[in-house]
Amino acid sequence: MMIKKKKVVLSYIITAVLLFALFLVAVNTGSLKITPKELFDGLFIKYNKTVATIYDLRFPRIFIAMIGGAAMAVSGVLLQAVMKNPLADPGIIGISSGASFTAVLITAFFPTLYFFTPLFAFIGGVVACLLVYSLSWRGGLSPLRIILVGVAVNAMFTGLMSAFNSGTGSTYSGAASIVNANITMKTWDDFQTLAIYSAVGLVLSLLVCSKCNLLALEDKTARSLGVNVNGTRLMISGIAVLLASISTAVIGPISFLGLIVPHIARLLVGSDHKRLIPYSMILGAFVFLLADTIGRTIASPYEISASVIMSVIGGPFFIILLRRSDKRHG
Amino acid sequence: MDNVFDIKGLTFSYGTNEVIKGLDLSIKQGKVTTLIGANGCGKSTLFNLITKNLRPQSGEIRLEGKDISQVKLKDFARQVAIVHQYNTAPADISVEKLVAFGRTPYHGFGSLSNSEEDEEKIKRALEITNTEKLKDKAVAQLSGGQKQRVWIAMALAQDTKILFLDEPTTYLDIRYQLQILKLVRKLNEEYGMTVIMVLHDINQSLYYSDEIVAMKDGRITAQGKPEEIITSELIKNVYDVELGISAVNGKPFVLPV
Repeated sequence: MMIKKKKVVLSYIITAVLLFALFLVAVNTGSLKITPKELFDGLFIKYNKTVATIYDLRFPRIFIAMIGGAAMAVSGVLLQAVMKNPLADPGIIGISSGASFTAVLITAFFPTLYFFTPLFAFIGGVVACLLVYSLSWRGGLSPLRIILVGVAVNAMFTGLMSAFNSGTGSTYSGAASIVNANITMKTWDDFQTLAIYSAVGLVLSLLVCSKCNLLALEDKTARSLGVNVNGTRLMISGIAVLLASISTAVIGPISFLGLIVPHIARLLVGSDHKRLIPYSMILGAFVFLLADTIGRTIASPYEISASVIMSVIGGPFFIILLRRSDKRHG
Repeated sequence: MDNVFDIKGLTFSYGTNEVIKGLDLSIKQGKVTTLIGANGCGKSTLFNLITKNLRPQSGEIRLEGKDISQVKLKDFARQVAIVHQYNTAPADISVEKLVAFGRTPYHGFGSLSNSEEDEEKIKRALEITNTEKLKDKAVAQLSGGQKQRVWIAMALAQDTKILFLDEPTTYLDIRYQLQILKLVRKLNEEYGMTVIMVLHDINQSLYYSDEIVAMKDGRITAQGKPEEIITSELIKNVYDVELGISAVNGKPFVLPV
């Protein structure tokens, strides 16, 4: 099925509008309320105490949710292109938990290196990714074997992290917030860390979108077009791991986002990565902010973490996809 | 007559199993050359060696005088286009976009749009293969014969003088097989392309090729014009079957006796 251009344009516009509307809702979710006009005036024209409070308390987490969502979604798209596997997700196959494990270690033992946490998380993500690739390689990468090995790698790192967290009595609150993927207490500093590294990853992802398209061909065919297929795979995997690790370092491990968003995005804008990658950014931002906002409202005054919401929605979704791919692969 | 490929002392093994055993071969410019041989004779391996999908263990392959192991993949793709036997494309890609992939060797890192020259070459490739009417259709919706023409169009968009085809007629009905083989003749006669292919059907090979390269056991057994080299003895030697030879339109034709 080919996707009409009109549908693509509409999808972009509608999602962008929805994201903006959701942003306003998220700003207004909580005990302090504010109208869009007051917000605009408070931000750009004159000081308003309510706006200032919201700006310090709610804005960082909202922007963090959006950027983190975009990064995780794009990471999913890239991994799926590299592995030719629509089920690949940085959360499910253990990249996020590898990254968060190293992030936890750094936060606990070397808090002064805080700004570089994403870099260390990246190393953890790379290790996890290499483990998954090498353990599931048998003359090729079978989609289901990657998932199985990934689940095991994920369980191992999650276990290590929990053990570390329990063993230290959870006294390191920064570490615990990564373990639990809690973004309640995030500040502008966290935002800055996330934004700088994510910007690099997202720009790189836009530069490789034509390469992602070529990977959809048979390897031999891509080679005949002058593409170094293995080198390209390595490079794109690196960008995917970078994006997943960065957002994990700040937000904590999020599962299923990198799976659900690209899947819906493909239905709406098609599999051409020149459209798919930018759209996944917007949709990823929307979905994760939605999960966070639902988590804040559903059991108010208590909060449910966005990653829990993602897992509750994502689990069944993943099972449906898995059953459909079973039919296809026999 | 110039040669496009000069191969000397080529060897290749999978593990301890030597498949290509000191093979020498020259392929002439401006001809349609077809590799024939029984299953397991090494013709696919040879195909993969000449197209840089495998590295020879020893010996050398020269393309217009240059050792191909020294030629970058991208530069190679500007000189040589290859249509592999088995191809897949995303379900929702259009014919035109797929053919545009053929311009990849001319693009730099991160390039997003096609130049005027790209557009021109894509249009030309669609015209030659008679697929311009299909250009807005999804590749997945096409028939087997149409798909194969589209893959050839993608290769033509590479704008090379040399074209490799690996069993281009496999999986196709006889009508589409002939369509593809006629297209091959047209590419050779009207556009001066050097075509090198592997074919399964021996009679189609004899009818549509200028030059036959018969392989057996990792070596070249015979090479030359079909009408000059094809004999019952050669067929017996290469395929290990007794077949009679007759003639159709001045070309040899092989059939069971």
